[in-house]
Amino acid sequence: MTASTLERPAPYRKLLHLNWIGGLAGWFWLFVVIVPIYWIALTSIKTRSNYYTTNPLAPPDDITFSNYQFVMDAGFPRYFTNTVIVTLGAVVPAVLISFMAAFAIVRAGDGRFLRGVNLLFLAGLAVPLQAVIIPVYLIIIKLQLYDTLLAIILPSVAFAIPLTVLILVNFIRDVPKELFESMRLDGASEWRTAWSLAFPLTRPALVTVGIYNALTIWNGFLLPLVLTSEPDQRTLPLALWSFQGQYGVNVPAVAAAVVLTTLPILALYAIGRRQLLSGLTAGFGR
Amino acid sequence: MQTSRTSRRNFLAFALGVPIAGATLAACGSSGPGTENGGSGGGSGGSYWYLSVDPNETIRRTSLDRFNKANPDESIKGTAFQNDAYKEKIKVAIGAGQAPTVIWGWGGGGLASWVDAGAVEDLTSWFDENPDQKERRFPSSFAAATVDGKIYAVPAETVTPIVLFWNKQVFEEAGLQPPTSWEEILELVPKFNDKKIAPFSLAGQSRWTNMMWLEFLFDRIGGPEIFQAVFDGEKDAWSNPAAIKALGEVQKLVKADGFIKGFASITADTNADQALLTSGKAAMMLHGAWTYGSMKTEGGDFVSGGHLGYMNFPPVAGGTGDPSNTYGNPGQYYSLSSKATDEQKTAAKDFFKTQVLSDAEQTDWVNDAGQVPIVVGVDSKFSGLEDAEWLQFVYDTASTAQTFSQSWDQALSPTAAEELLSNIAKLFSLDVTPEKFAENMNAVIGK
Amino acid sequence: MALPAFLMFVAFAVIPLIGVLALSFTQWDGIGDIHPAGFDSWRDVLTDPGLPNALWVTFEVMFLSWAFQTPLSLLIGVFLAAPHRYRGVLAVIYFIPLLLSQAAIAITFKALLDPNFGLGAGLGVDLLVQDWLGDPTLALCTVVFVVSWQFIPFHSLIYQGAVRQIPISLYEAAQLDGAGRIRQFFSITLPQLRNTIITSSTLMVVGSLTFFDLIWVLTAGGPGDATRALALDMYIRGFRANLMGPASAIAVILVVVGLLLALALRRLGGGRDTGSQLEGM
Repeated sequence: MTASTLERPAPYRKLLHLNWIGGLAGWFWLFVVIVPIYWIALTSIKTRSNYYTTNPLAPPDDITFSNYQFVMDAGFPRYFTNTVIVTLGAVVPAVLISFMAAFAIVRAGDGRFLRGVNLLFLAGLAVPLQAVIIPVYLIIIKLQLYDTLLAIILPSVAFAIPLTVLILVNFIRDVPKELFESMRLDGASEWRTAWSLAFPLTRPALVTVGIYNALTIWNGFLLPLVLTSEPDQRTLPLALWSFQGQYGVNVPAVAAAVVLTTLPILALYAIGRRQLLSGLTAGFGR
Repeated sequence: MQTSRTSRRNFLAFALGVPIAGATLAACGSSGPGTENGGSGGGSGGSYWYLSVDPNETIRRTSLDRFNKANPDESIKGTAFQNDAYKEKIKVAIGAGQAPTVIWGWGGGGLASWVDAGAVEDLTSWFDENPDQKERRFPSSFAAATVDGKIYAVPAETVTPIVLFWNKQVFEEAGLQPPTSWEEILELVPKFNDKKIAPFSLAGQSRWTNMMWLEFLFDRIGGPEIFQAVFDGEKDAWSNPAAIKALGEVQKLVKADGFIKGFASITADTNADQALLTSGKAAMMLHGAWTYGSMKTEGGDFVSGGHLGYMNFPPVAGGTGDPSNTYGNPGQYYSLSSKATDEQKTAAKDFFKTQVLSDAEQTDWVNDAGQVPIVVGVDSKFSGLEDAEWLQFVYDTASTAQTFSQSWDQALSPTAAEELLSNIAKLFSLDVTPEKFAENMNAVIGK
Repeated sequence: MALPAFLMFVAFAVIPLIGVLALSFTQWDGIGDIHPAGFDSWRDVLTDPGLPNALWVTFEVMFLSWAFQTPLSLLIGVFLAAPHRYRGVLAVIYFIPLLLSQAAIAITFKALLDPNFGLGAGLGVDLLVQDWLGDPTLALCTVVFVVSWQFIPFHSLIYQGAVRQIPISLYEAAQLDGAGRIRQFFSITLPQLRNTIITSSTLMVVGSLTFFDLIWVLTAGGPGDATRALALDMYIRGFRANLMGPASAIAVILVVVGLLLALALRRLGGGRDTGSQLEGM
């Protein structure tokens, strides 16, 4: 499964270009999507007094970046660093061990244990993180990890596994069997086959699931909420919430905080957009 | 379920009986450098969590900074939290055995739950060793710090009764007079609504803000005994006719659009409710005395220009409660984590001794926050201050009240408090009738 | 090779799952010691009117967001699948809501919808000055809308991908038979998308059980308990009211509901659950 779905032959044009109901819905929803984004970006460069006196959708009389300064001074660089540590610290191991598991599941065929593992992960898809937050909290206390970034990382890895394995299994299945066979005839171990053959071949998928998990973990709220307390360990979504709780009446400052916490994600998206889109549509669109 | 064991005597803080100025002045707690600290110079005096939002946050931090400057080898690390989030955070941290050394709290039922878990130190002996620390504080401030006859927290900071604030400018422009009774309040409501001004500001999402209304209505209609019966776990205490009437009066006010539009989505943490009053979008607000300071700092010239009016909650016709009664926080409470190291405990006690309610800190509370520290004779500091009139009002309200009761949610156990708050929210959104509210609450009495 | 993932998952998902079941038979205030308490928590929870309310809110959010998102996403998906000039731009912008944290989205809408300081008040449009988050019915609708705001683009993209996999020959044949465009949509596009609809619906339905951040920041379960879905109910009971036992019971119910829904949808899909579908078995 690659990005080949993006190009389609001409007949589609004939079929769909008159789809005006869909078009209407599409453009209308685009408007709905854009307004809040536009509003929050605009508000973040207004002064507080300006915010109350001007039309909320009109550009400000004088653009100010003082709100951003204010947010930066409120410790956001630190929260940003924490979030990067948590995200990388969770995504890299999650993707690697999920890849190993997916490879084993595909290659094992009928092994009872591995089929069980696969089923377990499938069932795991339906288990919401919220449901186990209390015991996770207990476990983290027992491990003496409360109020550390590791406390957020470990459960994040665990909950990233099911979907990651699922998507990777999908991709590894697409690797022609003959390739594996020829590796085996060359006397390569499964371990080597995994890393030197399957791994490079599934790279697009790895990037996709990597980005997807990074998004989820970057935006995670419940784990930091329950498992950390000191501001030094805050991640961005939690910091944003606290910030809003404290400065909620200062809407421009809150807007700036929202924009700042979102920018890194948008940058990541700009880099990995194609992979993410094709990967997701391939993963879900069968 | 845990039954709260603060006795009746504790819960109802009877008249403060503050000796009038001229009695022992609390200079004993002055922050002289001559502290004997048993710290071995290990450096870490542990940590201290307190509530955010200025001016109070700065005062708390300044006190801590003073301490750290004077005692560099037992410095304590301070962290500020928002009110609503803090209540959960502190619980989770205590549960994780990672409580800060000094735990900021409200006393009452919350404190009792920490005591049950063995999370906080018994400070009775410390007070016995430092009798001056006991004598200099308002006697009434100790009730909420006492569980089973032992003191588990150092009463600190300020006494903050709940006050009915009003915007003089708005009243003047509307040609109306501030209310002197509940009936007049109800009459004012349509008059303000006609002028497109909300009669009352209210941060309904925080829920304890709504509760203040019930506290006063219960009290004015039936006296403090009504809630006392609930607190004592009497069967069907909520079905008392006075209680039902009070609940109905609140709903009457809600139905008449007495509260600002969208009140259920406003949170108190952001001070948005105060902004509505200071900006003239609302005419009145029932809120704790601690809001005076933030209205002063954030409300432009609202306070300094003399536009803020305040009064004790007016009486209800035919009610039996004494109109001098008030509700609120008889103080704030600093507990000491039992999980702290000996070194940290020593540091914390030094902090309690030298900086908490020190002369400099009292001055900060009085001058910067417009609040009354819980120190006997503190009113001598008021004269000549810009906020003297307000400070005297708070002092008099607190000291002349026939009963000064602790807020319900602080008095009750966290379990009962949560049940109460969620039902109060439903009462204000008109989801439950007074009778249904009473039924729901009767079901959890004594939990 | 599957061992590390297996162990990690067991440690932080399976064991907690067993743990939550065990905890539901205890009494624990989250601070002190844990005491066994038999069926007390279950009795409390099952007789508490809060539970039916939480279930009801959960299903309301689930159903309404599904009913609102699915037709729109399908329409938009079909529209996006057609090649036209702005498709690239559309796809880029469409994806943005999915990138934002729910906390950020909730905070944005909270400020935007504020009846006193928000967009409506600023524009002076009375229609927009509603008590969006303070009125029980409106608050629920607002939650559904904000959820849809975040996820419609995602589901649209799923549908877009699926539409492009429909063999073009089917449409050509239909055109030869003289079937109109609407006919084509109902007799070709929809049946061909059946599995995608099930996939997308499963994601929506199971996903809606896990809405926590969004509702928490937006309304904290209020006004009253109008938006107090299961996940919030659990959190509030556990971490606010110090009732970890009943909170664990609610969590168990949450898991059971999630699994039942997944199974039910699998039945709907004729025994092909999303998993096997995704695996291309």
